[in-house]
Amino acid sequence: MDFFTPLILAVQMLIGFDADLYEIIGLSLQVSLVAVGAALVLGLPLGALLASFQFIGRGPLIVITNTLLGLPPVVVGLLVYLLISRAGPLGFLDLLYSPAAMMIAQFILVLPLSIALSRQVFEGLHQDYNLLFKSLNLSWKTRVTTLLVDGRAALVTIALVCFGRAISEVGAVILVGGNIKHVTRVMTSAIALETARGELAFALALGLVLLFIALVVNIISQQIRQYFTPEDRYG
Amino acid sequence: MAKLCNEPVCMQASSLCVQRGAKLLLKEISAAIPAGKVTLILGHNGAGKTLLMQTLHGLVTPTSGQVTGPDIAVQKMVFQTPVMLRCTASKHFDFLCPGASQEEKLSWFKRASLVGRMQVPARSLSGGEQQKLAIIGALASQPEVLFLDEPAANLDFEATAFVEEMIRWSAKEGTTIVMVSHNRAQAERLADHILFMDKGRLMEQTSAKQFFCVPHSEAGKTYLNFV
Repeated sequence: MDFFTPLILAVQMLIGFDADLYEIIGLSLQVSLVAVGAALVLGLPLGALLASFQFIGRGPLIVITNTLLGLPPVVVGLLVYLLISRAGPLGFLDLLYSPAAMMIAQFILVLPLSIALSRQVFEGLHQDYNLLFKSLNLSWKTRVTTLLVDGRAALVTIALVCFGRAISEVGAVILVGGNIKHVTRVMTSAIALETARGELAFALALGLVLLFIALVVNIISQQIRQYFTPEDRYG
Repeated sequence: MAKLCNEPVCMQASSLCVQRGAKLLLKEISAAIPAGKVTLILGHNGAGKTLLMQTLHGLVTPTSGQVTGPDIAVQKMVFQTPVMLRCTASKHFDFLCPGASQEEKLSWFKRASLVGRMQVPARSLSGGEQQKLAIIGALASQPEVLFLDEPAANLDFEATAFVEEMIRWSAKEGTTIVMVSHNRAQAERLADHILFMDKGRLMEQTSAKQFFCVPHSEAGKTYLNFV
C-alpha cells in the first residue's frame, strides 16, 4: 500500500458521499459536540469561580482538577461501564452501548480540561479586574458572567482543545459504546476496527477525515478569535 | 454624624493598621473625611496613600482598626490606570453604571466629549479618554463618596482640565471626594482638606490652606520643599 491509496480512497469516499462514512462522521461529531458542549457549560463557570473566589477547599479542588487532567480514558470507560452496566447503580437507565454512554465518557474526560484551562485564563483576567469588581461590589454571578464574556477569545481555544481531546478519544468509547455498526461506531473506534481487520487503507482514510475535521475546526476557531480581537470589537 | 472642626464627617478611620508579612504598611491611622469636601491624601511614593484610600473604600481589609462610613454600594473609585473591559465604551459605561438611561448616558458622553467614541472598544481609547470614561461612569451613579487615585497622572492639559472640572462639580453636588495626587498645583486648586502621610503614618490632617501655608510636621515641611 502506498501513501496515496488511502488519500485517494478518502477523497473518493467523501466526494461519493459514502453513506457509512458520513454516518460515522455524523455520529462522531454529535457525540463529541454534545459532550464538549456540556463540559464547557459546566466547566467554564466552575473555572471562573475557582479563579475569582477564595473559599474553603479551593486549593484541594484545584489539585484534584489538575490531577484529573491525566485521567486515562480507559479508566474512565471502565468507571462509566461499571456505572451503567445492568448490574451498576445506573443500569436501569439502559445506556450501555448507546451514543449517550459515549457522551458521558467523553464529558467526564473533557470536564477537568475545561475547568483547569479556563481557570488559568480567568485567573489572569481576574488579576486585572479584581479591584474593579470589589469596588463595584459585584455579585458572584456578575463577576463570573463578566469573566466569561471578556475571556471569550481564549475560551474558543479551550473549546477547541476539549473538542480535540473528545473526538480523538478511543479507549473509553469502545468500552461503553461497543463499536456497534450503525449505532455506536465513531471514527476512532472504526479506525481501530478496520486496522485490526487489516483494512489499512480504509482506516487511514478515516484518519485523514479526522485530520480534515480538526483542520476545519481550527480554521473556524481562528476566524472566531480574529473576530473577537484585536481589542475585541464588540461586547 | 461626627464633627470635624464644625464640619460633618462622612467617613472615619480609627487606629487603622495594615500589615503585610512582617511589614506594617499603615500605622495606627485615625482620620476623619469631611462630608461634601475634597480631601487630598499627600505624601512621598511608598507613604501608603493608595493603600489608605483602598482601605477606606473597603478594598483592603485592615489588620486592625476600623472604618466607619457609607456602604460600599454608594462609594465609587477611579483607579490611576483605569480598568477597561473588552467591550465598547458605551457598554463599559453600562457596566459601571447599570441604572443609567440612554439619555443620561448620552449626556455624560457629551459632557466628556466622547460621543463619537461610544462604539469604539474601550481598550482602544487613549489614556485620557479611558480616564474620562471611568470618571463619568463613576459620577453617573451619583456616589456619596468618590475615591480618585491620581486621576490626572499622565494626562494632557485638556483631559486634566476635564477631571478637575468634574471633581469641582461633584463636590459642589455634595459628593465627598477622597483623592491621591502628586501635583502640588492641582492639590492647591482642588483640596479643602489634607491628609499628609509619611512612611505609613498620618503626619497631618488639616485644612488645605493651613497645610500649604504652615505645615505642622517636619515631614510636611520637607515634602512641600520638594514638590
